[in-house]
Amino acid sequence: MNVREWALISFTILAQMSVGAFVVLGIVHFLAQRKAGSEEADRLSDRALLAIGPVMVLGLLVSLLHLGNPLNAYRAVANVGSSWLSREILFGALFAVVGGAFAIAQWRKIGSFAMRNLLAWLAALIGLVLVYSMASVYMLGTQPAWNTWATPISFFVTTLLLGVLAMGAAFVANYAYIQRKYPGCADAQCGLMRAAVRWIAVAAVVLVGIELLVVPLQVAYLAAAGGVAGDSAALMYGEFGLILALRLALVFIGAGVLGVFLYQNALSPGREKVLGYLTYAAFALVLVSEGLGRFIFYATHLRIGI
Amino acid sequence: MAKQLGFYFNASACTACKACQVACQDKNNLSAAMRWRRVVSYGGGSWVPDPQNAGLMLPNNVFVYSISSACYHCVNPLCAEVCPAAAISKKDNGLVLINQEQCIGCRYCEWACPYGAPAYDQARAVMTKCTGCDDLVAQGKNPVCVDACVMRAIEFGDIEQLRAKYGHVDSIEPLPEAKYTGPAVVITPHKHSQASGKGTGKILNLPEEV
Ligand code: SF4
Ligand code: SF4
Repeated sequence: MNVREWALISFTILAQMSVGAFVVLGIVHFLAQRKAGSEEADRLSDRALLAIGPVMVLGLLVSLLHLGNPLNAYRAVANVGSSWLSREILFGALFAVVGGAFAIAQWRKIGSFAMRNLLAWLAALIGLVLVYSMASVYMLGTQPAWNTWATPISFFVTTLLLGVLAMGAAFVANYAYIQRKYPGCADAQCGLMRAAVRWIAVAAVVLVGIELLVVPLQVAYLAAAGGVAGDSAALMYGEFGLILALRLALVFIGAGVLGVFLYQNALSPGREKVLGYLTYAAFALVLVSEGLGRFIFYATHLRIGI
Repeated sequence: MAKQLGFYFNASACTACKACQVACQDKNNLSAAMRWRRVVSYGGGSWVPDPQNAGLMLPNNVFVYSISSACYHCVNPLCAEVCPAAAISKKDNGLVLINQEQCIGCRYCEWACPYGAPAYDQARAVMTKCTGCDDLVAQGKNPVCVDACVMRAIEFGDIEQLRAKYGHVDSIEPLPEAKYTGPAVVITPHKHSQASGKGTGKILNLPEEV
């Protein structure tokens, strides 16, 4: 592990978290609007939206650290015709620009509702293409541990899992803030927040289920393939086995066990404080777990050949 | 087919003296950490107790042979396909060259190339690799590795002519199968050579040598 790999771990995690958060926020906002109207929906989501921007910008900045020549980074889109790395960088920058434009327009209520809506859809779509490009960067025929469907599946699961929990944390924080500022005036908000967290809990449990299925299947598949793929699998359950076990335990507790608690607490009014702590804890555990998972991803790939 | 220059390598003649590697380091002024051409020894087998003489061991299919390997200026260079800066390109004569002015030092080509050909220049933060001695070739001369080989185990030229002369083997262990990038190479195998991907031996060099 060196600076370059730490930069890649942070960049991919941060970028995926921003995309996931953006998409999840969009869905929640859409549903909240139908339930409680535009004004309450905006109150729920506007502050959360502004939290995404810095995360993405930070991600793009650390990504520069892995280049030997950061000043020439603008040249990295020269080969969009055939290089997924070029496409990743292009869509990363586009996502930051379009998502940022939407965030500013939404915050300041610039432009018509329809126009903002269009921007949001566009940014979400670019974000999903970005995650697909990120996965494709690693789908090299000469890197068997990366060149499987587990790469795109787990990138998308990471995106959505971090997205739902980051937004869950943002909603409970926003709620606590509103409560403190205008005590007693947040009944509609309280209902919305609890409904949002309830759905977030369901999503987290489903997503962690997929992850707990894909990770062992991937290791078993590589082990069965033998050769260089088998050597990678051996690293995953051998040298890095403890980290892998820790990662799976953390994500199981964070998204699975706490997800169930979250769901239960979201159903019972008056437990908003507990709900807050649970959400923060779930987010923290899953963030650490996904970071460890990405660490293993970069630490165990082996190239075919000499 | 477009013109394609390439290497011929005779594994049955190579003695692993590394004269080619040294000549390459010298001509291209490479640091010890950067190796455009590497001689890799591959071997295997085991020792078993001699049933006739207690305490003595007998060789059981013990073998070793060596290959001298550089960039193969592939027909489908994965390095060039994935390079985000479009810094790697295939020339009219088939040579695959990196333009260091364009390279951003992302090292992605290193992950892609199955021959370990790209060599990162830490000092300049750019990627480098075997150029096929394009400067010498333009003057009608051989790459230095070819002329340095005391066993005359390396040749360089039009790959079609080399194939007509030496056949069509383009991979033996420890090289990868040719399917990934279509290397422009013809090999005369060693009598113990094993098929790529099906080898029973391992690379015997120190990791930092390869
Ligand atoms: S050997 Fe590697 S560096 Fe050389 S052309 Fe083929 S893929 Fe590119
Ligand atoms: S290190 Fe240079 S030559 Fe290699 S892929 Fe990156 S930009 Fe291209």
